[in-house]
Amino acid sequence: MNLFEVLKVAVAAIWAHKLRSALTLLGMIVGVTAFVTVVSLIQGFNVYIDEKIAGIGAKSFSVQRFNPFEDFKDTDTIAAAQRRNKELTLEDYDYLKDHATLIGKIGAKARGTPSEVKRNDQVLQDVIVIGATGNTAEIDNRNIANGRFFTDTENDGAARVAYVGADIATKLFPAGNPVGGEISIAGLPYRVIGVEEVKGTVFGIPQDNFIIIPLKTYAVNFGTLQRQRSLYFVATSRTDAGFNDAVEEARLLMRARRHLGPNEKDNFGIVTPDAITGLRDRLFGTIFIVAIAVPFIALIVGAIVIMNIMLVSVTERTKEIGLRKSLGARKGDILKQFLFEAITMATIGGAIGIFLAWIVGKVVTAMIFPTYLSLLAILFALAVSGGMGVLSGIVPAWKAARLDPIEALRTEL
Amino acid sequence: MTEATVETSPTSSGVIAKPELPSNGKADVLILMRNLWKTYDMGAEKVHALHGVSFEVTRGDYLAITGPSGSGKSTLMNLIGCLDTPSQGEYWLNGKNVSEMDDDELARIRNQEVGFVFQTFNLLARATALHNVELPLIYGGIPGAKRHEMAKQALAEVDLADRMMHRPNELSGGQRQRVAIARALVNHPSILLADEPTGALDTSTSYDIMNLFEKLHEAGNTIILVTHEHDIAARAHRIISIRDGLIEKDERIR
Repeated sequence: MNLFEVLKVAVAAIWAHKLRSALTLLGMIVGVTAFVTVVSLIQGFNVYIDEKIAGIGAKSFSVQRFNPFEDFKDTDTIAAAQRRNKELTLEDYDYLKDHATLIGKIGAKARGTPSEVKRNDQVLQDVIVIGATGNTAEIDNRNIANGRFFTDTENDGAARVAYVGADIATKLFPAGNPVGGEISIAGLPYRVIGVEEVKGTVFGIPQDNFIIIPLKTYAVNFGTLQRQRSLYFVATSRTDAGFNDAVEEARLLMRARRHLGPNEKDNFGIVTPDAITGLRDRLFGTIFIVAIAVPFIALIVGAIVIMNIMLVSVTERTKEIGLRKSLGARKGDILKQFLFEAITMATIGGAIGIFLAWIVGKVVTAMIFPTYLSLLAILFALAVSGGMGVLSGIVPAWKAARLDPIEALRTEL
Repeated sequence: MTEATVETSPTSSGVIAKPELPSNGKADVLILMRNLWKTYDMGAEKVHALHGVSFEVTRGDYLAITGPSGSGKSTLMNLIGCLDTPSQGEYWLNGKNVSEMDDDELARIRNQEVGFVFQTFNLLARATALHNVELPLIYGGIPGAKRHEMAKQALAEVDLADRMMHRPNELSGGQRQRVAIARALVNHPSILLADEPTGALDTSTSYDIMNLFEKLHEAGNTIILVTHEHDIAARAHRIISIRDGLIEKDERIR
């Protein structure tokens, strides 16, 4: 008896008792829905950390005054780092740019200042204005909806041009094209040259409420690039494979420029995506494990429900089993028949659960928080539900396979 | 009429072939039973359902096994149908020593050599007549297209070609039993083993079924009928009467 025949028998048996099958599957569906929802929340959170909080792409790293993972452990390390580490300067930036061989692109940015932005009688308070070099658009993977980012020439000339977030564009330019329009930032007029694509909100924090202006313009109009406006660099590697080498090159160049001896600590910080995800895993790893374990219990309960119904089904179909055996079904055939019934049932439950979790994920993403459902998570959930089917089917199937055909045939329905 | 009354000792009947050579020379011997015992262990005491049964059946015979309830005829039927193995003795079916087979080998023999017909038909209620007839072929590993062909042919042989897609609850008792007979025949087994095949049918339908058995016998099938009804048994060509686990009488009537 080949597996296709076994599968057909299993599906027919499930279909014959639609209501019972549906009720049996409920536990499995709830379990898988909860399981996949939690996984997609966690994955969404991880992706969010990777791409958004870090403010750098997966393939870029940053050089800054402090290393948050090393220097901000406690008050002593903070105090030590404040004494040791110096602000980065534009001269540091030029030095890195001139000497880099493994680093692909390197750009400079300065931390933002909340500012008042105006157009005619429209006033926006606390818009984050940051300064950056022209090449950071590419390093940060900015998606431009309209217009363009500013060029290095505009940066060198300290041009008063602004690249704005989607919220700024819609609020200040309710009608008409914002590109080419004039706005006032902290009292000075700027020309809008580009608008970023809508990013939405994350954790309730709007992501489209920012303005980027050329770094030179920022230094001229907002003050020296120190302390709250401190300078930092973002960089990519020349090749994906050479990423770690590029990070190491940046570190060695900085050490050389600052004349550090072999035993002296770095007096600057380099933040890589690995360091950020490592911190995330340290902070949230245990929470994630617990969050996954709880729906897993629901899955096991779902498996027990299936096992229970399968046991009932075997008792109910004793005569059918006897008949099948008298017609030549071997132990293995009967075992496969009931095992496949349980596996098919559990997998259908799993598939429905995944579908519901996908819907839940869409709703959550639209309303609260980005979720991410990977193909791997889908396959894993299917495999887990199939595995639960094996777990719940093996005992009833074995019971059915072992039935004595004479006794089974004699059973009255 | 009475030719031989076989006793417990196999030597009392001179016609029994040597079991070492059941398949060659005497090709017409289909069933060979030698000194068959079946003992059930009921805790403290042992119950002998059969104690020393020996007989043989030639290919193409039409045999009825009768006896009152508790005589051991059901036990004997289970042994003939390879649903069970004897505690002692030898059973050769179509040249194969069934008495030494394990469960899976028995399942294969049941599939290839035995066609069962039951008193209560035992059709799958959810499946069509065609699918019911296909069941033994599924376990025989016969591919879909050929299976349909064979099942259709078997249903045609029992005059049910126009009822193939009906479910059992859409068929009369006689039609159901004919589906069951088609299912028993579909694999071209060596023996057709019917256990009280008319027990659940009215008299006129019973005659229809018995006529069908006669037709099948004339077509060359070996039929073994297990029944306690004398007029049904009388339709066979040979009657073996069982009482208290022994063959009481073995007579050829036709």
